[in-house]
Amino acid sequence: MMIVRIFLWVALAPLLPGLINKVKAWVAGRRGPPVLQLYYDLIRLWQKGVVLSTLASPAFVVAPAVAWVAIACAAFLVPLGPAGAGLSFRGDVLLMVYLLALARFCTAWAALETGSAFEGMGAAREVSYAVLAEAAMFAAMLSLAVQTGSVSLVDMLSPAPGAGTALLAAGLFIVLLAENCRVPFDDPNTHLELTMIHEAMVLDHSGPPLAVILHGASMKLLLFAVLLTAAVLPLGSLPPLAAAAALAGGVLVVTLGVGLSESFLARFAFRHMPLLLTMAFLLCLFSLLVAWKGGAA
Amino acid sequence: MSGGLVFAAVCLLAAMAMAQRSTRASFALTLAGTLAGLVASLTILLGPDDWEWTGAFFLGGERVHLRLDGVSAIFLVLVCVIGGAGAAYAREYWSDSENPATAARGRVWWNALILSMGLVLMISNGLHFLMAWEAFALCGYFLITLDNRRPEVRKAGWLYLASSHVGTLALFAFFVMLATHTGTWNLGPVRDVPPPLFWLALFGFGMKAGFFPFHIWLPSAHANAPSHVSAIMSGVAIKMGVYGIVRFGGWLPVPANAGHVVIGLGAASAVLGIAFAMAQNDIKRLLAYCSVENIGVILIGLGGALVARTHGNAAWGQLALAGALLHVWNHGLFKSLLFFGAGSVLHATGTREMSRLGGLWRSMPWTAGFFALGAVAVSGLPPLNGFASEWLIYLGLFEAATTRSGFAWAALPSAILLAMAGALALAAFVKAGGMIFLGTPRTKPAAHAQESRAGMLAPMALLAAACAVIGVAPGLVWPAIARAAGSWNPAWAVARTPFSTLGPAGFALAILAAVAGFWLWKKSRANGLRRDLTWDCGYRNPTSRMQYTSGSFAGISAGWFFWAFAPERKFRRPRGPFPSGSLRLERVSETVLERLIVPAGAIITRLSHAALGLQHGRLQAYILYLVAGLAALGIFVFLEGKP
Repeated sequence: MMIVRIFLWVALAPLLPGLINKVKAWVAGRRGPPVLQLYYDLIRLWQKGVVLSTLASPAFVVAPAVAWVAIACAAFLVPLGPAGAGLSFRGDVLLMVYLLALARFCTAWAALETGSAFEGMGAAREVSYAVLAEAAMFAAMLSLAVQTGSVSLVDMLSPAPGAGTALLAAGLFIVLLAENCRVPFDDPNTHLELTMIHEAMVLDHSGPPLAVILHGASMKLLLFAVLLTAAVLPLGSLPPLAAAAALAGGVLVVTLGVGLSESFLARFAFRHMPLLLTMAFLLCLFSLLVAWKGGAA
Repeated sequence: MSGGLVFAAVCLLAAMAMAQRSTRASFALTLAGTLAGLVASLTILLGPDDWEWTGAFFLGGERVHLRLDGVSAIFLVLVCVIGGAGAAYAREYWSDSENPATAARGRVWWNALILSMGLVLMISNGLHFLMAWEAFALCGYFLITLDNRRPEVRKAGWLYLASSHVGTLALFAFFVMLATHTGTWNLGPVRDVPPPLFWLALFGFGMKAGFFPFHIWLPSAHANAPSHVSAIMSGVAIKMGVYGIVRFGGWLPVPANAGHVVIGLGAASAVLGIAFAMAQNDIKRLLAYCSVENIGVILIGLGGALVARTHGNAAWGQLALAGALLHVWNHGLFKSLLFFGAGSVLHATGTREMSRLGGLWRSMPWTAGFFALGAVAVSGLPPLNGFASEWLIYLGLFEAATTRSGFAWAALPSAILLAMAGALALAAFVKAGGMIFLGTPRTKPAAHAQESRAGMLAPMALLAAACAVIGVAPGLVWPAIARAAGSWNPAWAVARTPFSTLGPAGFALAILAAVAGFWLWKKSRANGLRRDLTWDCGYRNPTSRMQYTSGSFAGISAGWFFWAFAPERKFRRPRGPFPSGSLRLERVSETVLERLIVPAGAIITRLSHAALGLQHGRLQAYILYLVAGLAALGIFVFLEGKP
């Protein structure tokens, strides 16, 4: 069971960026890269040699591995519909959020290893915007906790959603875009360093460490997609097979949504990003207030 | 038990006496004393009984009365651990050869500080408490001003002394009023005193704890003191203020809204403290402001406990209290570790400015490693100890939120603010670690730094190990924490460990991370590792000035707090065909001190000067004052119609 779960997360995650790219290509009228492109890239990178910056310490290579482990452990805590979570306990939601923070710490630390201005810039942006994203994330998790009266992810995510679900979904979707460096926060297509967040941080990585980073990023995207789907759909009240299908369908819809928003939106100017994130925070906050008031009335 | 504590006290006194004569003997005595104190306090924490001792002799007309219960023992453990580790660190850092004039004096005051803090924790009599409190404050002053040739050190010392005494003044009033109401100087749980007395204690102890806005003395004192002193001041001494609040929050009847006020102060302190830390360029100032944040985190937990206790001992209050108490330990450990690390950097390079450092991991790999571990811990990330305590506080707040009871509303904003403070702490410590240890050296001293010697590395290794052990096995310390929570509020005495899953999960995470890191390094080596320049868009000759700076790194998030920073700016545009001498300076001010306290002080001084004009030595005028005064009194009596 555990093996299947790990396999699902590890093997399916790279599918999402491929799907997003396919959607974008369709909208633009192109054929686009194959859906499995990221798998090919990962295999190729895994076999390549590494070019290290002369300034980098061994932590430059170790940090991506730690970040990957952190994301994988966070994914292990997220319940997959009827299959439940790999590990569930009171307060696991906090561990999940902080594991993602650990991954952020490692990526930003590795970025500063190279002494490059671009990477410093990317790291500064990442850790600063995370302050607002974290606030939105906590408001969302609090709203789920208040709604269900529980502080473990399995119970928080299974029951039917409350009145504030639309607000919560919108807020979480913006957080998903921000945390996974999608348009309008970041543009995964360009490699123009000055405008980037995540891509700028990993400029100097190559070979297996880069493969680990790319795979970790796709797993994080899948994690957020699962979280968003499970928060919105009443997976707990469906029969197991239907719940699994609903979860898979939901993740697919989220992926399509990311692809579509990426096709129709341009990247925002940096000074507007805090505003957008604040909006996500406010959306989650209002869903929290709805949940809080909903019980008292 | 009594024997152990007496032995500890005798050892510390002997260490003071030997400080001048033999460095080694003095150090051995300090170590023996702190070890004995540690064993004694652990015995209390792991056993069911408190220790109490009433002396046969009197001091100031009062019988000497000592008591060590769960709450005091928690703090005493920290005093002993950091006291011992700091003494070991100081042997290299503030050695007799480098500071012949002050090293011995430093040892005397160091031992006196440990002794007086121990007494503060054990004394159970208001009058004697004030004496020990004053002794403790003075020891702190003499340690901070150890290097008193530098004017900024003297200035920081005066500021510390002045604010400390403002707090002590409030404590005098507090203990006197407590004694008047209860009719005895003896301290203990009391029932029939007016609840507003708690505010006086909160202010008096708050000056020492240094939460916002009472932190005015803290940044300059901690930045300018020798690093081992900064470590004990930041890690332990400010916890004495926390001890006072915890202690009297437990013993006194508190006002109905006290818990909410404490939570509010904590949340403000957490967010603003870490925001100010983010904006600093001086590493020790950054660490000092981060202490303001961590005191805020502790206060959020404590405030939650107060709220829960006044509303029927809700179970989540115990989690919040346990988190706060565990955070007292954790903050003491990782903050001392970070100050030791900063001290080693200062010792090796002679500067605390992050914009003059960089690339130190190459020359100081051990210090860099320990500092990185401390940075992960202070950011509250798993699997280290900072996460364990913050997790408990969060869990308390989340459980409070799930009850949806009206009084628990404060849990929502404080949990969100705590999350923001956590994310800012991560940003601040990525910045600190990155600017000091990573990239390329920005100045010559940074390029020619040398690793500290084993004498300084060993205490850091000890503290780092403690951080890691509490992180991966928080279940080990739970009995002690639960014991202390039980002696704070007997209703919370029995509790199952909440760490039964989190502990093993953290352990697994640590193992997996280590294995994955090692494996990826092996794999990269096997694939072929080549070194080349950092990618700068094809530029082949990068300089250290092209790196991102500490100011730029903080720019985005610091910009959100400009309203609080009130920064001073100097800006001169480059002009003319051959521009030179352009300038851009920005200094984050000590807002509360410079915009509030100093102007208020200036007004008082001006008023006093104006009053001085009345005194000029002319006798006729003085007689006129007298006559005018008498006449005014006469008119007053006449109008009132009573004699």
